[in-house]
Amino acid sequence: MSNSVYRLAAVLLALGIFLFDVLSPLEGAIAVLYVLVVLIAARTSRRADVLVAAAGAIVLTVLAYVISHGMESFGSPALRAAVSLAAIAIATALALQSQAATETLAAQARLLNLSHDMIFVRDIRGVITFWNDAAAEVYGWTAAEAIGRVADELLGTKYPADRAVVEAALLKSGRWEGILEHQTRTGARLVLDSRWAIQRDRHGNGVGVLETHTDITERQAAHAALVRSERRYRRMFDTSRIGVIEEDWSAVQAELANVAQEGTSIADHLAANPDFYMRARRLIRIVDVNAALLSMLSVDDRTQFLNTLDDVLGAADTTFPGALVAFARGDAFYEGETEMVSSDGKAVPVLFTITFPSSPDDGDKALVYVVDITDRKRAQDAIQQAQAELAHAARVATLGELTASIAHEVSQPLMAVVTNGEAGMRWLRRDPPELNEVEFALGRAVAEGRRASDIVKRIRAFLKKAPSHRDELALSALVEDAVALVQREIAKANIQLKIDLQPHLPNIRGDRIQLQQVLVNLMINAAHAMAGQDGARMQFITAAKTEVDDIEIIVQDTGPGIPNEHLQRLFEPFFTTKQDGMGMGLAICKTTIEAHGGRMTVESLPRQGATFRVTLPSVDASATA
Amino acid sequence: MLKIPKIAIVDDDDGVRSSLASLLRSLGYEVCGYASALEFLDDKIADDPGCMITDIQMPGMSGDELQAELIARGRIFPMIFMTAFPNEATRNKVMAAGARAFLEKPVEADAITSCLELLPRD
Repeated sequence: MSNSVYRLAAVLLALGIFLFDVLSPLEGAIAVLYVLVVLIAARTSRRADVLVAAAGAIVLTVLAYVISHGMESFGSPALRAAVSLAAIAIATALALQSQAATETLAAQARLLNLSHDMIFVRDIRGVITFWNDAAAEVYGWTAAEAIGRVADELLGTKYPADRAVVEAALLKSGRWEGILEHQTRTGARLVLDSRWAIQRDRHGNGVGVLETHTDITERQAAHAALVRSERRYRRMFDTSRIGVIEEDWSAVQAELANVAQEGTSIADHLAANPDFYMRARRLIRIVDVNAALLSMLSVDDRTQFLNTLDDVLGAADTTFPGALVAFARGDAFYEGETEMVSSDGKAVPVLFTITFPSSPDDGDKALVYVVDITDRKRAQDAIQQAQAELAHAARVATLGELTASIAHEVSQPLMAVVTNGEAGMRWLRRDPPELNEVEFALGRAVAEGRRASDIVKRIRAFLKKAPSHRDELALSALVEDAVALVQREIAKANIQLKIDLQPHLPNIRGDRIQLQQVLVNLMINAAHAMAGQDGARMQFITAAKTEVDDIEIIVQDTGPGIPNEHLQRLFEPFFTTKQDGMGMGLAICKTTIEAHGGRMTVESLPRQGATFRVTLPSVDASATA
Repeated sequence: MLKIPKIAIVDDDDGVRSSLASLLRSLGYEVCGYASALEFLDDKIADDPGCMITDIQMPGMSGDELQAELIARGRIFPMIFMTAFPNEATRNKVMAAGARAFLEKPVEADAITSCLELLPRD
């Protein structure tokens, strides 16, 4: 009922009592009934209403007394009026006090209602006695519906442990905190952070429990997702076929920071302090590795090498300085190809990517992903060997065919020339000489001689044939391809190959295969010349631009050199110093180079190796020519 | 009087064949030339020669194949082989089968004459 209804009722009751007091012939303390007016007014919960009601009651009581009894006599009616006034005053005082108490409780309840947490109070049997707005809103039952119900039954509470254990903890310390689950009116299950406090009476007996619940369903879900994600990454780390190393670069970072402070660039510092490189390898600590990496390096036990990068990186590695520079520059990652060392000391060729920590949030650990390319490398080597063998076979076959054909073509007429000569001489020596036969034999000798010379001309023309392809070729690729073809033979002969190509060389034009064969020939010759010698076995291939924009390729070795008397004839067809040589290799090389518009020369000092110079016009030179 | 052995020359190269024939005639031999192995095998008129000089590399049938064929037919007589492209395998094969000589082209006249001088004269 609203306050105005109470007020109206109070006013009407007051008027009724007043009329009854004035008009009734009854002698009695009718005015005591004003206490009811005060109590009704108190129902509005407003202090002013109580005070107005009290004042009204007092005024009406006094007025009724004056009307009924006048001002003269102070007898028993006056005593009754006084008692009534006292009753009104007492009732007012009590009403005001009660109102203040209620007001405090209401204020407290309002505070509890302000909370976003679900708060309810239950008595010791579990029956709900208070239910705040948040509880009503979240659980779905109004306070009126919830109060009087047993909390656990209404909410289907699921405890993390046995209910008795929770209860015991509560009784012991007066408080309990934990995670539990409640079900809402719609059946949704909520995960709640729950705090209980026991309410005791004056004697210390528990009379009720205040339960506060915070909904952490979402937080819990987010946490679970995080855990799942972490587990997923852990699983990826553990079961991936890609090797993963977690490395701590913080010590190196500190060193690099020092270098940077001195104002030196990292690259310069590395160049000036070669020992820094080795130290840095030992400064990088391996934090963790996955199973794939362990098996890649034939390590049984993870703890066996949780040491430093130096333990697993091959001695011949050339990528680490680059990684240091990239790290110092703040790059996000660095990748390359290198060799790691397995536990039994074998080199394992790998491709790797290092991801550097990009911000302090990522931690200071770098992750290195490693792929074993042994198989690929082996296949590559096999292909290269097959290619080299094929190229070699092709070379031998070409030379062999050529030689067989030359031998057959040329030796037939030569034989005829010689035999005719011999026959002619014998006819001449007869007595008498058979001059007809002599003439016949000489005539045939001349004809066969011409035939031989025709064949030689034809062969020369064949060898000088212009290159069939005129492609634009990058010199670096040409050299690389040729080196790839002979790499195995060179390695087998224990020869150190040094290649130094001037950067940004203009391209050349010609037949890739033919030019490649020239380089292959020169390299193989050098390798054969050095095979079996004790001294240094080195081969240098350099290329540079000449003043007239030609390209000069130099193939140099540290072999025994070429004797002076051989030098002059080196490029002549059929000139050879090899037991099984055909003497065609260098002749063909020279004609090939000349057919490309280039020149080929040789220099050599005894015991100081041989130097072959191949000069070819570059695309730039022919464009201006 | 000793009978001069008849010499058969088998070579697909005209120049070689005719020059060799001229040389051998100058030495007093009777000579018959054949441009291929098959031509020699098909010659039903002539008797077996006193000696056959043949090239190895010839189109159709090679010299060593000719030797095998003749042996198979029971026609056994001295044979001299010439080649511009000698190899051990062929040399071993024809020598094992009874060849008198395996000569490399261009063949020296003396090498041939000394071989022929060893021929039996009946």
